[in-house]
Amino acid sequence: MNPSNHLTACPACDLLMETISIKQGEKAVCPRCETLLRQAKTHSITKVLAITSSALIAYIPAIFTPLLTLKTMGLAQSGSIFDTFLSFYHQKYYFVAVLVFVTSIFFPLLKLSLLFFVSLQLKIGVYSRSLPLLFRISHYLDEWGMPDVYLIAVCVSIIKVSNLATVEYNIGLFCFIFLVFMTRASVSALDTHLFWNTIENMKKKLRHIKK
Amino acid sequence: MIVTKPSAMSAGYLSCHDCGKLLQVKLLPNRSALCCPRCYASVHFRKPHSISKVWALVITAMILFIPANILPIMRVDFLGVVDYSTIMDGIIYFFHEKEYGIGLIILIASVLVPLFKIIGMLIILLTIKFKWRRGLRHKTAMFHFIEFIGRWSMLDVFVIALMSCLVDFGRISSTMAAPAVTYFSSVVICTMFAALTFDSRLLWDA
Repeated sequence: MNPSNHLTACPACDLLMETISIKQGEKAVCPRCETLLRQAKTHSITKVLAITSSALIAYIPAIFTPLLTLKTMGLAQSGSIFDTFLSFYHQKYYFVAVLVFVTSIFFPLLKLSLLFFVSLQLKIGVYSRSLPLLFRISHYLDEWGMPDVYLIAVCVSIIKVSNLATVEYNIGLFCFIFLVFMTRASVSALDTHLFWNTIENMKKKLRHIKK
Repeated sequence: MIVTKPSAMSAGYLSCHDCGKLLQVKLLPNRSALCCPRCYASVHFRKPHSISKVWALVITAMILFIPANILPIMRVDFLGVVDYSTIMDGIIYFFHEKEYGIGLIILIASVLVPLFKIIGMLIILLTIKFKWRRGLRHKTAMFHFIEFIGRWSMLDVFVIALMSCLVDFGRISSTMAAPAVTYFSSVVICTMFAALTFDSRLLWDA
């Protein structure tokens, strides 16, 4: 079925080499361009499932409840992440509003739920035809979900407004910090190579049963 | 002396861009549109028209970088006084206020990172154009770095989003976005797409 499994091509420089098996915790690096080829991780599927499900719980309060409250001269103003999208929208910067919506609200949610469904299916061993597609889309979203950048932006804003008004931290901020850390954790727990191999094996098994 | 090592393409193998599966070309069905048996993505030896797309995106980013820095990016109303500030004004403000850490973060994220991405991609494109064969390993590392830092330039856009949402006390004090936001975010998008469409294997093909 698969004559080329003993060979690997480096994704960055296309060097053809023999596949070496690596133990858990080890890394494989391309000898020519030093690109990281593969890093074996322990219990990747279970970890990703646990991390994404806890991140999804924190998602709604993180996005929709206020992050910060500013108080000055008897006036108070608070805002959630969803409000920041709305404020660009009301100022008629539609392009930037859509960009902020997509990068800080929609893609993080999509990425987490895709990883959740894929790891859930791999964990319970149910193969569906859409599985490879879902996992591929979650790869495309790697770059475009930016909750971590947003968190640094929140820090910068706190310092910027701290001499203008008193800043109160709300529950939304803590949920958001949790969400960012869980999103990062899901990336570092994900063993792409293992996920693809498991998907391929499940598909083969399915074909075998059908025959 | 250059030792030639086999590329997968010259050996008749093709690796999927999306899932990394290696396919032997002679075993594939003879059709024009091929797709990966594992992830169903369409497969090519190299990303199609990568070089010309990247040139177009990098040049667009260079053009948009000018209005992004010249035009004001933020409008601050304070007790009836309207003040527009560009990206550089914001950075200078932080250095005046002795907030060097934050000033440095914004300087890096919104000026140095886009500039580095544009110059870095130009160096890579010229390397391919003129078939320079030196320092390919460093250039590949630089490309990975450009891929990694791409998203961090969105920092300033998010800061403005937060400021305009939170600092909204009517006439006393309010902050709003100004036209450069659109140009600036377009620069970020263009450079990110440039890094995504570029195929670093082209560096090693020459």
